[in-house]
Formats: sequence, C-alpha cells, structure tokens
Amino acid sequence: MGVRGSPPDAEVVALVLAGNTEAFGIVIRRYEAGLLRFATRMLGSRDAAADAVAESFVRAYRHLASCREPTRLRTWLYRIVTNRCKSHLVRRSVADVPLDDAPPVADPSDNEAALERADQVQLVERALAGLSPDKREAFVLKHVEGLSYEEMAAVTGERIPTLKMRVHRAREALLKVLEDHA
Amino acid sequence: MIVIDPRIHQVLDGELGSDAVPAELRLTVARLAAAAQLLAVPLPGPLPSVETRVMAEIRRPAPSRARRLMRWFVTPRAIIFRVRPAWSLAFAVVAAALTLFTVGDQGPELAEHEGIAQFVGRFPEAQSVHVVGTFNDWRPGSIALEDQDHDGVWRATVVLPAGTYEYMFVVDGERWVPDHLAERLVADDFGRENSIVIVRPARR
Repeated sequence: MGVRGSPPDAEVVALVLAGNTEAFGIVIRRYEAGLLRFATRMLGSRDAAADAVAESFVRAYRHLASCREPTRLRTWLYRIVTNRCKSHLVRRSVADVPLDDAPPVADPSDNEAALERADQVQLVERALAGLSPDKREAFVLKHVEGLSYEEMAAVTGERIPTLKMRVHRAREALLKVLEDHA
Repeated sequence: MIVIDPRIHQVLDGELGSDAVPAELRLTVARLAAAAQLLAVPLPGPLPSVETRVMAEIRRPAPSRARRLMRWFVTPRAIIFRVRPAWSLAFAVVAAALTLFTVGDQGPELAEHEGIAQFVGRFPEAQSVHVVGTFNDWRPGSIALEDQDHDGVWRATVVLPAGTYEYMFVVDGERWVPDHLAERLVADDFGRENSIVIVRPARR
C-alpha cells in the first residue's frame, strides 16, 4: 500500500531491512490508527490495545525479514496484532472486558442526537463484548476494518467458510441485541 | 438466537446487490451496516500513540541470545490444556480401572467370615520362626514368619476364618515360645502357656 507522496510498503520494508531503523516510523504512522481501533474493539480497553499494538510493532520490526510478501504488510501486521490480542484475552476472562475503559463516547450534554448516538455505540460495543473472541475477531475484521474474506483468511489462518460462519453468527447476535433494545 | 435471511448476509458480504432483496430485508441490512459503521468510525479522543515507545524500543540494541533465553525462563507463562470431553471420560475410566486393579491387588482376597491375623515376634538370633496353633492343628512348618529387613523382628500375615485361636511360635524348628504380646495367654494341658489371637471378620 502506498499513500500519495509516501513510498509503498515494499519499499519501506526494504529500507528498514537495509538498516534504516527510522523508516519503520512510516509503517507505524501508516497503520497505527487502524490497528489501535481493531485492538480496542477486540480488547475493550484502550490501554490494553496500545500495549498489544506496541508489542506487535516491536515484534514486526524484529521479524521483518520473515515478512515474505512486503506488499501485503498490512495483512501481516493485522495477523501479529490478532495474535497479541488473543494472548491478552487468554490472560483474562472475556467477562472482564473493562467497558469503562472503552473509548469515551460523546458528551451527552452536547445534544440529543449525540446522546442517541452514544447510546447506540455503547449498545453495539456491549454486543461485541458478548461475542466469543473468534466471532468478535471475524466481525471486527470484516465490518470495522473492511478486510475481504481472503485477507481475513490470511490474517487468522482460518478457512473462508469458517470465517463467514463466524461473521454470520456475530451479525445474528448483534441483531438480537438491537431488536431487544428497540 | 435470531436466524438472519441468507440474502441479508449475501448483501452484507457484497455477493448480492441490495436491490435484489425485498424492502424489509433491506431495512435489516441497513440496520446492521449502521451498527457496524458505529464501530468503524475513528476512535474519539486523543489516541495513545505507540510510535514513541516502539521507536525507543527498536532503537535499543537487541538483547543477547543468552539474555533472551534467561528472560524466557523467568517470564510467567500460562499453560492451557484443551481436552476433548470424550478423551477426559476415557482417561477417567482408565484411571478408575487402574486404581481398582491396584487396590484389589494390595491385599489377600477375604471372604465375609474371614479376617486377618498378624503374628509378630522378636527373635534376633533365630534362623527360622513358624507359628503353630489350633488353626493349623499345631503342625510346625506350615506358616513361616519372615524377617525381611534382618532386624530380628519376624512377621507373618495370615487369613483365617473368624474365631479365637491358641498359638505358639516355633523357633528354629525346636523351641516353642508363647507370644507374650498376645491379647491373652492361657495354660494348656501340658503346663505351658499358649497365646490367644482373636480373628474378627473383615469389614467388607
């Protein structure tokens, strides 16, 4: 991936592997926001997400030479972050997902529309937190990060039919929560 | 659990155009898409940028292999066992069978009316010790005691029908000695003292 005016991923990877450590900053700035959002949705905590993403970037840097397809750096990074998130989730029960630590929603005093939106966000976040880690991962990769099923398969190592089934189940659970609160 | 019409999934997965489904299904599609969109917006508030800490970490020289190995050894790790219930059940059955087999092998088989009599005597200089009594018609040589650890204490464990028996020890095949640690001693018809052992039926 290359943003206008910035070198494509493969070029950045080549620079880093050639010894230009500072070039790794380009990778971080390019993917940090998306990875943090993904990890936050997975872990329900900004702090835990920041830890997972930081650990993942360090890991990615140290093993950059093993990234066989630098053009697919984004998928490779998601894979590392996904595994870090799973490790974090193993260390604590899903029931402990600290929703209080979730991203702050709009101040309800702003206006009625913002309040309604904040409620909706909270509702969807709770529905997400109630999913099993596998389904949550599939749903977030598909609908939040916008990955294709092929990319999701590369990230998770799962088969496409399995991922589809997880996304479908997650949608059903989400729809049930939405209808219960309608 | 709600089951969603497969066409809704197809639309959301980009396999079917939204125009190809009825209006009521399009509503559900829109509802789910809107809910997902709520999560897809950039996170509000200041983002905890990780760039500074990551760059600081990777600028440091990598730790030596020995140091990494040491860190690996001292870092607490979770060990997760994933066991299929079928295997757990099979394991439990095998463990139970082994336990029963082992327990059953530990002692002699006892009938309801039988009990265990233990004979113990201290004869440091003896070469052999036997026990004779009313349970074996005073026949020497049929029940031998053993001194397995050569400390001079001879022992035998015998299964007998429940009852009260008189007995004596026969040391080195010729010396008849009463057991002074017996529950009781009684005088026999030959002016000697016989020991008494009471065998109680084992609880089954």
